[in-house]
Amino acid sequence: MKFTLIKDIRGDALMRPLLGGLLAFVLLFLIFDVVQKHETIGLFPAAAAATLYGDEETYTDAITFSGLLEIIHGDTFFAMMSLLTLSAVYARLVDSTRRRLLFINTAMLGAFFALPSLMGAYYFGAPFLYGWIALFFLWHLSAFLMAAESLWRLYRP
Amino acid sequence: VEALQAVKNAYRYAIAYFTLFGGLLLISGFWLFALKIGFTPSQVAAYYLGDPSLFTAPKSFTGLMESALPHLGGMGLFVMVTAHFLHFAPKKKKRGAKKMAVALFVAALLDIFCPFAIINGFALFAWVKLAAFAALQLLGFALLWLVFSAAAQGIARERQEV
Repeated sequence: MKFTLIKDIRGDALMRPLLGGLLAFVLLFLIFDVVQKHETIGLFPAAAAATLYGDEETYTDAITFSGLLEIIHGDTFFAMMSLLTLSAVYARLVDSTRRRLLFINTAMLGAFFALPSLMGAYYFGAPFLYGWIALFFLWHLSAFLMAAESLWRLYRP
Repeated sequence: VEALQAVKNAYRYAIAYFTLFGGLLLISGFWLFALKIGFTPSQVAAYYLGDPSLFTAPKSFTGLMESALPHLGGMGLFVMVTAHFLHFAPKKKKRGAKKMAVALFVAALLDIFCPFAIINGFALFAWVKLAAFAALQLLGFALLWLVFSAAAQGIARERQEV
């Protein structure tokens, strides 16, 4: 987190490519997380419902609760680490206090509530399932915009 | 100076959220432990050594490695990142932080490596595993609370000044 102490990040010959690389990895992480969730759980209500509750027509077994909890446990770790780092970079590169807090709050709250929503969907059905899908896209989109804007601000002429 | 204060305040928000995620991480870990292993030494030993009455097979060295590897990376990072925020907290909050972080590292190591001792014939390590897990949960929540309260106080102070 040393970059938080450097006065001019954009002018620093070492920190600029380092943060550029980090942001590129965060962007890729977000894209691949969407693809991976689409493949494993499903990001459309019908596909996600088949994963969570099973589907007799396609002989799909429902996921076990401990299996789902393992996914949530791992996702919590990756979300907290990636969003903390991204928020720290974004806070340094964006000038507007309002936008800074808006995006950090949206991405963090979206991710924080998306994880228990998935658990809620397992037990309580459709409302939580739709909630999980909406929150999942909300935090991924917010984080993607934060990373993209940070990257642009880091390298703009 | 004002701009710097605004950046610092944004960090406080991010840190406060980080601790909430940390709480979720500990709760989901606790829940998984309850579902898969159990909280008595005999349940812990049975989980790793297998139980013919439950038709469960003993855990292999490779199987334990699959769990140990991500936890070695994740737990070390989690404790370090969380505890290092106390460096920027008021003195009162810092008291005992070093001991707490060291105890967390030790508890995490014991939690990860006890299963290897259990499958190699040291069933008594089931007790150590339980104690380490309990310490990890309690100290983890205590550390998260310290960091969260420091960040929340900072946010409240900033709001008052504005």
